[in-house]
Amino acid sequence: MENLDAARLQMAFTLIFHIVFACIGMVMPFFMVVSHYKWLKTRDQIYLTLTKSWQKGVAIFFVTGAVSGTALSFELGLLWPEFMKHAGPIIGMPFSLEGAAFFVEAIALGFYLYGWNKLPEKFHWFTGIIIGVSGVASGILVVAANGWMNAPSGFDYIDGKFLNIDPIQAMLNPAWFTQALHMTLAAFTATGFAVAGIHAYQVYKKRKVELHKKAFKIAITFGAIAAILQPISGDISAKDIAVRQPVKLAAMEAHYNTEKGAPLYIGGIVDTETQEVKYKIELPKMLSFLAFGDFDAEVKGLNDFPEDEHPNVAIVHYAFQIMVGIGSLLLLAGILYFISLKRKKWFDNRKYWLLFVILAPLGFIALEAGWIVTEVGRQPWIIHKIMRTKDAVTPMPGIVFSFYMYVAVYLTLSIAVTWLMLRQIKVLNRSNH
Amino acid sequence: MLYVVLFFLIFSLYLYVVLGGADYGAGIIELFSSEENQKITKKTIYRVMGPVWEANHIWIIILIVILWIAFPAYYNIMVIHLHIPITIVLLGVTLRGVAFVFRHYDAIIDNSQQLYDTMFKVSSLVTPIFLGMVFGALISGEIMVVEDASTLSFYEAFIRPWCNIFSVLVGLFFAALCAFLSSVLLIGESEGGNENIYIRKSTIAAIVVFVVGLVTFGYGYFSGNIFVLDFIKDPFTMILVVFSAVLLFPLWKTIKNGNKVWSRFFAGLQVFLILLAALISHFPNIIITKTGSISLMDNIAPDAVINVLGITLIIGGTVILPGLFHLLKSFKMIKILERNSTSN
Repeated sequence: MENLDAARLQMAFTLIFHIVFACIGMVMPFFMVVSHYKWLKTRDQIYLTLTKSWQKGVAIFFVTGAVSGTALSFELGLLWPEFMKHAGPIIGMPFSLEGAAFFVEAIALGFYLYGWNKLPEKFHWFTGIIIGVSGVASGILVVAANGWMNAPSGFDYIDGKFLNIDPIQAMLNPAWFTQALHMTLAAFTATGFAVAGIHAYQVYKKRKVELHKKAFKIAITFGAIAAILQPISGDISAKDIAVRQPVKLAAMEAHYNTEKGAPLYIGGIVDTETQEVKYKIELPKMLSFLAFGDFDAEVKGLNDFPEDEHPNVAIVHYAFQIMVGIGSLLLLAGILYFISLKRKKWFDNRKYWLLFVILAPLGFIALEAGWIVTEVGRQPWIIHKIMRTKDAVTPMPGIVFSFYMYVAVYLTLSIAVTWLMLRQIKVLNRSNH
Repeated sequence: MLYVVLFFLIFSLYLYVVLGGADYGAGIIELFSSEENQKITKKTIYRVMGPVWEANHIWIIILIVILWIAFPAYYNIMVIHLHIPITIVLLGVTLRGVAFVFRHYDAIIDNSQQLYDTMFKVSSLVTPIFLGMVFGALISGEIMVVEDASTLSFYEAFIRPWCNIFSVLVGLFFAALCAFLSSVLLIGESEGGNENIYIRKSTIAAIVVFVVGLVTFGYGYFSGNIFVLDFIKDPFTMILVVFSAVLLFPLWKTIKNGNKVWSRFFAGLQVFLILLAALISHFPNIIITKTGSISLMDNIAPDAVINVLGITLIIGGTVILPGLFHLLKSFKMIKILERNSTSN
């Protein structure tokens, strides 16, 4: 394997894992504080049991997220030293703020986990809020740094040198808001549906039904609201990319030839040789409308750009289809949940619970697919139109071994965390409430 | 602003060495304890480190972020030539963190605890050794900086900089220092007459630190290590080292008197003096290569970057430090002060 490919695979692999850990660690505190709030309000013992069970989940995911994040903060430099040498100072701002937010989160977590019966009740609960808020802030800041790679700004690029650096402008790059909004909603959707699905399974299996129903409701409410809002954010992102990264948009849609009134392809198999998409559903003029809000707008095709600036069209196209497809499905499921609140009978139907069990992993699949669109879609650039990925990679050969090592460690870690969560649920089901 | 950034760089380095170091050391102490003492230590570590250990380890992230933002050229050399030991450190940090959480948050206590314990103890020893080797590598004089790393052999470019006797000695020295710090910390935290375990450990650790330190210096001196030669030549650094050694006496006395706050203060001060001496003797030429040295001040990020970073650090510091202090105080100091006042 080429060094560059190994480095890209390692980065992709570690990010795919980190994203899952980080999202859960960022969103679950919100479920936890809602349950905690209900305990303080109602003094219903079930909520206390649930809060304590979720806090263990938060602790485990916070740590796995934190250590995989620590590894990533080094990996950026270890794998892409040339990138960090130039980009480090420019996008340092969101990273240093992220460090601060992360620190606040760790401090708040220390208070929360060890504060039961020691701290004043309300203050204790409030430290839970701080965990959640600083977690989301961390996420937004890191995404802002990624936004800069897609929309580099805050410097002048003259003769291969980065001059007149403005770190604040770099942080507030044109992509930061659209990406951060999309990612935050995605994190809530994915975690909401995943956690709800786990509890739905317990209801389906008729274990501790009352407790798991309460847990399900809290988690799915967050997930459903985020899923319903997500299309709005998706639309903003699409319109933004159409202007800023037309190659990426073209790859997402496997759109080869520039045309006015471009059709939208749904699904299909990409043939890069003949530049055709087979077995697709075609919606006339929809791509032009979605990208520019005008049915007859011109959408640039891949052939308008030099071939050495194309990403892998098939991967980007499929990943995009997966993301949008699942997103639409979860939107419907979100609406279904709110209808079910009016139709209480549904809660007695086992199929209702089975449905949410099946939906559990989908949010995260969509979220990963979305990141594949963003990252693979930006290739061959590591900094859009400024630096190519192949020029940033480390000169150290043999990265493939480090890749294998990370695969082994992270796979083991995931199995271990899953196993630990299963044991948590087992004990929860044995508890008195 | 550059001085603010430098202050935070050294400040987080120091805090990482002391807090993170004590944290690693706890695992080392547990590793070198009898089976019975291991159980006691495990409980004590959980009580003491539980609320704060995550915060302890964030200092290294702050450190690395400051390095890459403000001193990119310096950071670049580190991540290219010390790729392998840094990767091992990361692996250690990951396994150790995970093992710590697993062993305390696993809902079911069974045989898997043994696996978590072993993972925790072994990674607690290996990680600081490699971390120390990274420090050692930077001053070993074995790093070769060339325009194109592919002109060097793999061994010359990526192995020899850190895999040499001097770096390994520094690694061992750092691990011993961690164990020393931790044993002093644990003395104040043990309950029911277990203090003696840690008093014994701290004595052994202090001897190991002293011996390994001496060997490191001896080896460096006779092999012509520039860092060591400069270190010895500079009277000011030698005064700091001697002062640090002299502090062992008040440290010993405070430990015997059971004064936990002062004993920690002295141990922390000793480490500070050693670190300061190491920094001063060669500052700002912190990387010593085969052909010369590289100053931290070479190729600094532009002023605009340094200014924004400095302001961020000041703001971040004012938010975080009181919170951190409060956390430490809430869970640690209060207990100690209470115990001190009741025992008096």
